[in-house]
Amino acid sequence: MTDQQSQAHAGEAQTAQADMSGVTEKQMRRMRRFDNPWRNPKLMWGVGILLGIVAMGILGRIFWDPDLVFVGSAMPRQAPYGFENLRGQEGLLAHPLGTDGSGRDMLAAIIIGAPNSLFVGLLASLVGMSVGIVLGFTAGFVRGRTDDVIRVLSDVMITIPPLLILVVFQAAYGDVTLTMMALLIACFVWQSPTRLIRAQVLSMRESGYVQMARLSGASTSHIMFREMLPNLVPYLFGSFIANVTTSIVTAVGLEVLGLGPQRIPTLGRTIYEAINAGALIQNLWWWWGLPTLLLAVMFIGLLLINLGLDEVSNPRLRKL
Amino acid sequence: MTVLDLQNVSIDFPTSKGVVHAVKNFTLQIPKGRRVGFIGESGSGKTTTALSAMRMLASPGFVSTGKIFLGEDRTDVLGLSAEEMRQARLSRIAYIPQGAMNSLNPVMRIENQIWDGIVAHEGKTDPAELKRRSEEVLAGVGLEPHVGRLYPHELSGGMKQRVCIAIGVCLAPDIIIADEPTSALDVITQRHVMQTLREVQDRIGAGLILIGHDMGLMAQSVDDLAVMKLGELVEFGSVRQIIERPEHPYTKELISSVPLVGGESFLDPADQPAPSKIEAGAPPLLEFKQVSKVYGAVTALHPMSFTLEGDTPKIISIVGQSGSGKSTMGSIMLGFNPPTSGQVLFEGRDINRLSAAEALQFRKDVQAVFQDPYACFNPFYRVDHALKFPYKQFGYSKSDAETQKAMEEACTAVGLDPSAVLRRYPHQLSGGQRQRLIVARALMLSPKLLIADEPVSMVDASLRATILKNIYDLKEKFGISILYITHDLATAYHVSDYVMVLYHGHIVEAGPPKEVIGDPQHPYTQLLIDSIPWPDVDRDWGSASDARADLDRLQAISDRPETVFRGQVPGFALATG
Repeated sequence: MTDQQSQAHAGEAQTAQADMSGVTEKQMRRMRRFDNPWRNPKLMWGVGILLGIVAMGILGRIFWDPDLVFVGSAMPRQAPYGFENLRGQEGLLAHPLGTDGSGRDMLAAIIIGAPNSLFVGLLASLVGMSVGIVLGFTAGFVRGRTDDVIRVLSDVMITIPPLLILVVFQAAYGDVTLTMMALLIACFVWQSPTRLIRAQVLSMRESGYVQMARLSGASTSHIMFREMLPNLVPYLFGSFIANVTTSIVTAVGLEVLGLGPQRIPTLGRTIYEAINAGALIQNLWWWWGLPTLLLAVMFIGLLLINLGLDEVSNPRLRKL
Repeated sequence: MTVLDLQNVSIDFPTSKGVVHAVKNFTLQIPKGRRVGFIGESGSGKTTTALSAMRMLASPGFVSTGKIFLGEDRTDVLGLSAEEMRQARLSRIAYIPQGAMNSLNPVMRIENQIWDGIVAHEGKTDPAELKRRSEEVLAGVGLEPHVGRLYPHELSGGMKQRVCIAIGVCLAPDIIIADEPTSALDVITQRHVMQTLREVQDRIGAGLILIGHDMGLMAQSVDDLAVMKLGELVEFGSVRQIIERPEHPYTKELISSVPLVGGESFLDPADQPAPSKIEAGAPPLLEFKQVSKVYGAVTALHPMSFTLEGDTPKIISIVGQSGSGKSTMGSIMLGFNPPTSGQVLFEGRDINRLSAAEALQFRKDVQAVFQDPYACFNPFYRVDHALKFPYKQFGYSKSDAETQKAMEEACTAVGLDPSAVLRRYPHQLSGGQRQRLIVARALMLSPKLLIADEPVSMVDASLRATILKNIYDLKEKFGISILYITHDLATAYHVSDYVMVLYHGHIVEAGPPKEVIGDPQHPYTQLLIDSIPWPDVDRDWGSASDARADLDRLQAISDRPETVFRGQVPGFALATG
């Protein structure tokens, strides 16, 4: 062994090496699953559920008639196939999930409504996130007066209940489009990403690799986007998903109050109509129950994604 | 009379990469009243072994084979129920953690934290009795009774560590495990805390396991020494035997890697020192003009002036304890932190008033090696990024193949095998490898001045000498002037041409290392030298009361320290005021 080789060896990690003997094939497979943190079962289930809802929207438009949600062409208050309504009428295969109080098809309502609700959440969160990234980086990097303004603004905004303002706004404005509603909600979901990114940037700017980058003559934008941003990705994803959940809850809340878009079917509006028509006391469970169930599934999917992302960014949470 | 008996203990950690055998067949008996040191590099299993005796292994670790018996009644630790184990902890086996600052509850008074442990073991106790006992243990570690009424943030680091000792011994355990209890303290406080721990342990007659990596500290503190490597006990014997007649090659390596003041040099100076890159007659490389730094009410750096000519490469050491202002000096020199008053001139230009082009040139000429090799690499990129990016940024790169070649050459020059380190992610490399890559980076960029801020303090002891040698070679072979910032007097003694001792932002003593460190004149420097734990059993460290007296002496000089000038070296001129 030459001197150089022995020196290189001396530099290697002095921790004991892992021993793979005595591990069964099944355990090995379980272990290998963790080699790539993104192949996380929770994450995959969560993404699967959301993609399922999107796929339902796409396939539904191909294989089912989406117009059935706009025209009350069938007999109203029909039970889903295999059930009876209060009048003792059997559900028909023509409307497998039943119809609502004005004879609109429930399957079509879900096919159109569920992706709409998801869209509002994603768009609002995306806009809020982008604003948050810009403001958070600015505050953390520029410091001084700018930081004070951004920090106070986001702290104040966090204390204001969004639903209150949105109710007032929408009541005054009348009908809105989905995009408009998403943008309104986005005004209330930028604060937490701003605070999160500001805090991370403040601690990261003192870290060794940022100092090294400054020593290397890196420009501010290089430090921000090439050195810092990649390390923020797990946090950004987590915050994004949390914001999608908040946005959907807010949107559905508005819709259930009857303040959502009037002409576009959403899950929230379906629930609003069901409540208004007294579906609860008439035992028309499919009318309000199916959209609620779908929202619950959507939230479970988002929750699973969030838990999965937590495990990706924090390896300590991974269990064998 | 054995208080702790570890028999064939093996500890496994099942991980996603397979089972890690952290400790293998470890057998050791600790007799009553005996102090045993566990020494080894990070990851050698010393803490894991000690924690297994408390059944406090971090999940998912577990004791796979072996027996652990505690105390004279030979209680089988591994067979105890959770409640029995809880009762045994603290009352029979106590643990003094590494960072006392993080171990005390910040919202509880000190005495309440001591009472907690007593009440948890003895049930409801009379308040007057609790008070008496907490004052007794505090007095045992040399703290006044009123300290019990204080909150942790009102205490200094050394006092907090002594409070942790007090909590550990309040129930007179059979054995105390102290996990690097002084690693966060400076040498002067370290001596006081270690002596306190020894005296308390002597008084209650407990066994002591001292975990550490500093051979000098071990020589001054323990009776027996267990040397661990890769989870195995490679050598065990009395301290004297191990230090004077080590048998295992690893032990020899550990002992020889400790640089000593006045000891043999671990460097080999080149016969023909490399010429400097600075032409004669050019403005001085670095000049401080009445530079000071004030943070709010705290003066980190009092006005100081010096000139580093740079026409012959020099290593200037700045020595001081934490809080002395030495790192502030480093960041001022790098232009990261503008001085409150005064000017820093690099080649005649104020570094805080540079145009964009001049700033880039300044970055090319001044590079740094930082303390923490773990933080210096962006975890998102392969390690090549840290070397390649500045090389391209500064316009040295002619082609990708040429950059690759330059990287490989730089790695080879610092003793790394390029194929083993390049194209890896930072977490795949050890701390020593990373720090050497940072040195390789400095070499590739070939600056005129290198600021090395504690470059080896976070690297395992056996690698320190090698990395310092790499840094020394930068001066000897590549003509780079270096400012070496450190708390370690022994390494400063060997590598530097000129030493400045910093205390509370003042330079208290300055001159060539042979004078300043070899024969200190200023009381602070003398104190620093006296507090170094020597890896020599015959050279005694003094008692806790000596250390206490020294701390008082330090208090007396902190008000208006004077600079003691101990001679000049050509090319460097210092003036304070």
